[in-house]
Amino acid sequence: MAVAPAPVVETESKQSQTRKKLALFGTPIFIITVLLATYLWISSLELDSIEMRVLNKEVLTESLMEHLYLTGISTALVILIAIPLGILVTRPSLKRATPFVLGLANAGQAIPSFGLLTIVVIWFGIGVQGVIFGLVAYSTLPILRNTMIGIQQVDKSLIKAARGMGMSTRQVLARVEMPLAVPVMLAGIRTALIINVGTATLATFFGAGGLGFVIFNGIQLNRDPVLVTGVVMVSALALSVDYLAGVIGRLASPRGL
Amino acid sequence: MSTNSTSEVMIELDELTKTFPGQSVPAVDKLSLTIQKGEIVVFVGPSGCGKTTSMELINRLIEPTSGRIILEGEDVTDAQVDSLRRRIGYVIQETGLFPHRTIAQNIATVPGMIGWKKGRMDERVDELLGLIGMEPSQYRDRFPKELSGGQRQRVGVARAMAADPPVMLMDEPFGAIDPITRERLQNEFLRLQAQIQKTVVFVTHDIDEAIKMGDKIVVLKEQSHIAQFASPEEILSSPADDYVSDFIGQGASLKRLNLTRIRDIEMATDTPTGTAHEELSTLRQRLAESPWSTMMILDDQHRPMRWVGGRDLNRANAGEDIAKLGLPATATVEPQATLSDALNELITSNGGVAIVVDGSGVFQGVVDIESILTAVRTMREENSQFYLAQKEISEAID
Ligand SMILES: Nc1ncnc2c1ncn2[C@@H]1O[C@H](COP(=O)(O)OP(=O)(O)OP(=O)(O)O)[C@@H](O)[C@H]1O
Ligand SMILES: [Mg+2]
Repeated sequence: MAVAPAPVVETESKQSQTRKKLALFGTPIFIITVLLATYLWISSLELDSIEMRVLNKEVLTESLMEHLYLTGISTALVILIAIPLGILVTRPSLKRATPFVLGLANAGQAIPSFGLLTIVVIWFGIGVQGVIFGLVAYSTLPILRNTMIGIQQVDKSLIKAARGMGMSTRQVLARVEMPLAVPVMLAGIRTALIINVGTATLATFFGAGGLGFVIFNGIQLNRDPVLVTGVVMVSALALSVDYLAGVIGRLASPRGL
Repeated sequence: MSTNSTSEVMIELDELTKTFPGQSVPAVDKLSLTIQKGEIVVFVGPSGCGKTTSMELINRLIEPTSGRIILEGEDVTDAQVDSLRRRIGYVIQETGLFPHRTIAQNIATVPGMIGWKKGRMDERVDELLGLIGMEPSQYRDRFPKELSGGQRQRVGVARAMAADPPVMLMDEPFGAIDPITRERLQNEFLRLQAQIQKTVVFVTHDIDEAIKMGDKIVVLKEQSHIAQFASPEEILSSPADDYVSDFIGQGASLKRLNLTRIRDIEMATDTPTGTAHEELSTLRQRLAESPWSTMMILDDQHRPMRWVGGRDLNRANAGEDIAKLGLPATATVEPQATLSDALNELITSNGGVAIVVDGSGVFQGVVDIESILTAVRTMREENSQFYLAQKEISEAID
């Protein structure tokens, strides 16, 4: 038989390549610029003693670290809980539990974050632990939902083909459903991360610190430089996390999709 | 097509029945069927008659409500299902290639599961890619989305054959592609089947495809009731009832052109040929010595290029490029093409003949309308003799 000519594999146009590069480098450049501008502005100011108490290396670093810790731990916990749960409820034997589980997670997110955090912290006690539980409850939904959607959207004919070739249900899950769900699951993780970075700002009200401390001080002491520093730092952190999650998502998604 | 002298039973279905939960009537009702080793059995019937369900009962993708499945003499109705399926190649209409795995990984799915060593798998992948006409070095590491629809179908077939299962189930494997590609894939598969001699259960709703592909055809009615189980010849010449003849539809006699292949009929091999590199005088002499008025110019790989006549050769003498003179050599068919394919080509051809080429496009000869008509006439005579004989037998019995 005549060997069919190789199909023309779409080569990306120059334009879309430039656009991709812009997206890849644009965000970090923007973040760095804003941080630098804020730094230069603060440095040019004569800070009074009240401002100095917050705007110094030790306090800022500590707040940032606390914030990273809260976000990191809570997101890791959510991943550990929500992904297995999401997989479980897509199994035929547990399909009936789906509305219940989704309903619970939905409720978690529908309650205003401050309210939810308050409830959970009252339950688990003031401090880091309580806040982490609160963050987990609040950010479960996106990962849970995306895990379920990611698995459910896998083309049924692929599963039929896999079963027909003699894969066990577990092999189908590991070799077909999970890999194909990865991009959607990663998108869920990204959303959860952003939610946690934002919500962790409230941790300061429950004695768990974080960048909310800086912002709260700025408001309470009526000092704009402090407030702006806090806001810029949280925003820069959220943007960086979102950017990194996006890059990792692209690298971790299976090729060929 | 494959004919097995030692007729060994490969698959036996015994009163196989499937009633889907919540339905009062079975989708497949007491289907009993015996399939011989090495033959292609086509399930054909209108949409919803139960073809897919019947096929999927064989590898137990759908578990039967009752009845038995016997594979190579072994009752597999209750056998471990995953290992059963690894013995049965399976091709679905949607191809079902895994988008996140390369072509090589896709093909090696079953060998990987049954524990083949890496080296053996790589060899097998390359062998299969070669078999389906896709250059291994070029396609091995591509992803399914980087292939055309026809290539994907081929890879689907290769994947089903990977662990060399004795049985292949194919559900409308060439359904979702354009007619020209479909015809090519059908021919390719038949050529392949001549080598590999698998037992194939093939599902289609297209009677023409059934006639072309089947050693035997099962015409199914609703609930997978068998209307007729017979060879294509017999189905066309003596449909069991009105249902079957309605299903065959108009032009049953024309459909019989699908039963005979180019390789089965006489073709003319005395066509004068030459290449563009040869001396014009040599070409002219060769043409003059033959009874033909035109000759075939071949390229370096002996593939047909142009039909040229004496006048074209003169113009070539005057300095024109011979590869641009005359008429392009269109209407090529492979030996496993049916007479119907050839006739189609012939009608639109330049020279009033269809050019026969082998799998790599090398010129073999030509067939004209005469040789096709002769074949049809012979077929008719054979059939009438068959009926005369039948008549005598039945009269003798009476
Ligand atoms: N999973 C299922 N649950 C319930 N009914 C089903 C199921 N699969 C098939 N059926 C029913 O069984 C009957 C036979 O279906 P089947 O898919 O075998 O038909 P088919 O001959 O392959 O049709 P087509 O040519 O359209 O593919 C149909 O009436 C269909 O509605
Ligand atoms: Mg079907």
